[in-house]
Amino acid sequence: MTRLLAFNSIVVALAVTTLGAIFGPIAVRKGRRDWLMYLYAAVYTNFALVTLSTLALVYGLVSHDFSISYVAQVGSRATPTFYTIISLWGALEGSIVFWAWVLALYAAAVVWFNRKREGNLVPYAAVTLLVVALFFHILLVGPANPFLPVFPVPFDGPGPNPLLQNHILMGVHPPLLYLGYVGLTVPFAFAVGAMLSGEVADDGWIRITRRWTISAWAFLTAAIVAGMWWSYEVLGWGGYWAWDPVENASFMPWLTCTAYLHSVMVQERRGMLKLWNLNLMVGTFVLTILGTFLTRSGIISSVHAFTTGTIGYYFLAFIAVVLVATLFLVAGNSDKLASDGRLDAPLSRETAFLLNNLFFTVFMFTVLIGTLFPLVAEAVRGVKVSVGEPFFNKMTLPMMVALIFLMGVGPALPWKKAAGAELKGKLLPGVIVGVVFAVAALVAGARNGYSVLAFLFAGFALGVNVQEFVRGANARVRAHGESWLVALSRLVSGNRRRYGGYTAHIGVVLVTLGVAGSSTFKQEQEATLKPGETITVAGHTLRFKRAWGREEPQRQVIGATMEWMDGDRVRATIEPRMNYYPTQESPVPTPDVKSTLRGDIYLNLMAFKQDGSNVTVKVIWEPLVPWIWLGGLVLCIGAIIGVLPERKRPASAPVAPALAEGQP
Amino acid sequence: MTTKKTKWGAMTAVGVLVIAFGWLIYGGLDSNVVYFLTPKELLAKGADGYDKPMRLGGQVKPGSVVWDEQKLDLRFAVTDGTGEVVVHSKGAPPQMFKDGQGVVVEGRYGPDGVFKSTSVMVKHSNEYKAPAKGERPSDMYKSLMKSPAT
Amino acid sequence: MNWKRASIAAATAAPVIGLFAWGLTRDPNSIPSPLPGREAPAFTLQVFAPGQGELSRPVGDSVRLTDLRGKVVVLNFWASWCLACRDEHSALSDVAQSYAGQPVQFLGVLYNDVPDKGTAWIAEMGGQSYPSVDDPGARVAIDYGLYGVPETFFLDATGRVAYKHTGPVTPRVLRYKVDSLMAAARQAAAAPAAPAADTGANTKAGKVQ
Repeated sequence: MTRLLAFNSIVVALAVTTLGAIFGPIAVRKGRRDWLMYLYAAVYTNFALVTLSTLALVYGLVSHDFSISYVAQVGSRATPTFYTIISLWGALEGSIVFWAWVLALYAAAVVWFNRKREGNLVPYAAVTLLVVALFFHILLVGPANPFLPVFPVPFDGPGPNPLLQNHILMGVHPPLLYLGYVGLTVPFAFAVGAMLSGEVADDGWIRITRRWTISAWAFLTAAIVAGMWWSYEVLGWGGYWAWDPVENASFMPWLTCTAYLHSVMVQERRGMLKLWNLNLMVGTFVLTILGTFLTRSGIISSVHAFTTGTIGYYFLAFIAVVLVATLFLVAGNSDKLASDGRLDAPLSRETAFLLNNLFFTVFMFTVLIGTLFPLVAEAVRGVKVSVGEPFFNKMTLPMMVALIFLMGVGPALPWKKAAGAELKGKLLPGVIVGVVFAVAALVAGARNGYSVLAFLFAGFALGVNVQEFVRGANARVRAHGESWLVALSRLVSGNRRRYGGYTAHIGVVLVTLGVAGSSTFKQEQEATLKPGETITVAGHTLRFKRAWGREEPQRQVIGATMEWMDGDRVRATIEPRMNYYPTQESPVPTPDVKSTLRGDIYLNLMAFKQDGSNVTVKVIWEPLVPWIWLGGLVLCIGAIIGVLPERKRPASAPVAPALAEGQP
Repeated sequence: MTTKKTKWGAMTAVGVLVIAFGWLIYGGLDSNVVYFLTPKELLAKGADGYDKPMRLGGQVKPGSVVWDEQKLDLRFAVTDGTGEVVVHSKGAPPQMFKDGQGVVVEGRYGPDGVFKSTSVMVKHSNEYKAPAKGERPSDMYKSLMKSPAT
Repeated sequence: MNWKRASIAAATAAPVIGLFAWGLTRDPNSIPSPLPGREAPAFTLQVFAPGQGELSRPVGDSVRLTDLRGKVVVLNFWASWCLACRDEHSALSDVAQSYAGQPVQFLGVLYNDVPDKGTAWIAEMGGQSYPSVDDPGARVAIDYGLYGVPETFFLDATGRVAYKHTGPVTPRVLRYKVDSLMAAARQAAAAPAAPAADTGANTKAGKVQ
């Protein structure tokens, strides 16, 4: 019953999206604006149907209806309800359902907010969104159908993948990732809509999608940071980023989207880079689909890859259609996209943005080549290779360092042309903070060039960006006589986009400090301990108290109690564990982390004697790692500042509506 | 609005940048790519196989595992049925590590004929497997299970 | 719309799509097996599940691989705890049945499992037409470089490993490989006398495709 409801909703949604995608262009061609309500109705109906289907599947999961193939595949009566619900995206089919739902939600919302707009941009964007939705519906009735009947109905199922039910972050990371990935479909659809409707030379598509793009970017940022956090807390090797294809797949669209968020300002201010921005947005979408393809088709080997059947071929066909169609459209429209303005001086904010885009793009291509190289190598030379961290670290570190430097220089540079004296005053605080950070790093023992540069430039960027807030607030205090905090909040709400951006920069600085700190000063040691014995890493002493075991409803747990000592006093108790799931051959090691502002103590249980008389543990001192998560939070706060509506200022009209960059 | 001359200039500049980028990437890949080999393939390389980062895949030769838990020293042989390579690793073996298990070890092979491994990964299927009686943790770690967490 | 430029740009997508299409045809996790083309490692194992009717062999009977020379051998490694083995069970059993009386030997090899569970599993699946042997300590599996179950090895009439198939097999794959190996065997036997057998072998192999 539930199964039929869920499946038939998708079948009807498939029909509705198909009709809408065919009918929409006809309505536009005939110039019948009164017909557009049917096109938009298709978008809303699709949302209603997919919502129904998703709810039915969630109901099936919660009610343990094992006659539904997806429930039989990932469900189990012993799994706690929370993990049962989030197993909606724990395996391939369910994640496609969830994807289709998020897409339907975005499409309905963006169409609703813009339904009254003149011109053909919105109708064509709606058609594009329907076509993308259509693809996911085809997957759901074809190779990724979660609603197949199971007979005879099993009494119980194996439960979700233990790695995915081992940590609460798995409830957070995938939805954020989908909200980010799928959200990027919105600006893409409007970019395509602009090209199809001939409104491509106009900034309309950019202005409509500004908030959507920033929101999607924020979700993607949060998803990447949550993913790093999850792999740090769960996988047990003490790192958060391994350049795994799945990580790269989420990182590449982030790079191009971040580039877009910067370069789009050059188009709005100076009328330059129109073709480039279109390319960046289209490329970002292609990279989200490519990322999904790489991780869902099993084409590239990864620890996280889903196992699959024929779905890869469907994705390939979709990528082919998207690539050919967008390349065709962009190249065909390139004549209309000439620049209105031109570069005035080499030392200007435009130049900083151009360099920023150059580095982001090269960065993305480096990651792309590194990710695809094993495939190319096997196709061309027939050898199996893997491209690991050394390649990515060696190639991308210079670009990261350069980008952090630009993040400090850019905000200090005015549009068009910089004046020497003013620039000096703006850069000075940055230089001071940068030198302090670099010296601190050297004193702490950093000897790697990139690491010292990272601290130097992070400090520099921090100084310059904070200085922008201070300078602006001080000016308001002088001009309006407000108190400093009021001045600061009015300053930010008067130009949210600008100060949201600077806030995000400060977030990046925090992430940089965490990454540079942990990769430079990390120390680890492994030892086999008897009860009462201690191990010391980077001046932190840990004492093994005892090993223990316990039964939990869905698993059995073996753990070790370790005490973090401060002299004779026990500072904290840390309990790394090994979780045994009845359906899994191997146990899942579960590290335990104690965080402080200076860094984390990271403990992983590697092995233990059957009677508990000794255990082998790995102890890692991870300096500054919590700053990465904090930085991710600040990045998202910056994005939230950027998307909130501007404060109305009746007294002084903004420089240009919606895109005010304010007085530099 | 752009003259032919500046257009060609721009294209040359882009071309030079792309070539420089390609060359850098090639250099980076060439020295940092990790090859995947079986013991037979590694042995066939002779001296060419020494001291390069690689992944070695095969099975743990039954009876070859020597594990010193105090020194955290692990030695075993990886075999593919035709050739075998001695692997030396520091640190505890992964949980599923056992005789006959499919493994992938990452590290470098030295002229002394020992593969110095930095990580040992167990290849196992994620398929459902009900543990045999006596293999369930509650049976194996009876005494531990009786000492619940405080 | 600049059609020429648009078409040229669209054409640049072709190599990327081609690369991915090629990539889909292979499994990145498969580890090259040293075996195909080599002589299959010999073994002697005891039958624990007899099979049915014409194909059956008594429980406890020893199967020696060397005794099977001259026959095409399909060696299927399986286990009762393996889910994918359920998918391929009926394909194997039915196809094996259809070759009854021909020089083909299907043989199941139980991997990392106990015969009692294997027998129960076969009963649960509704029987198996061909016999299965037990591989205590997975010694034969190790000789064959097994990475997981199911894995199926196709040995030609001269005792060499001709193909290795990872994951569940389909009837199409089974028939195609068995037919081409039988055709090759006939061809080898007939070659000195009648070169005309060549065309016959090809049509036979081609038809099932």
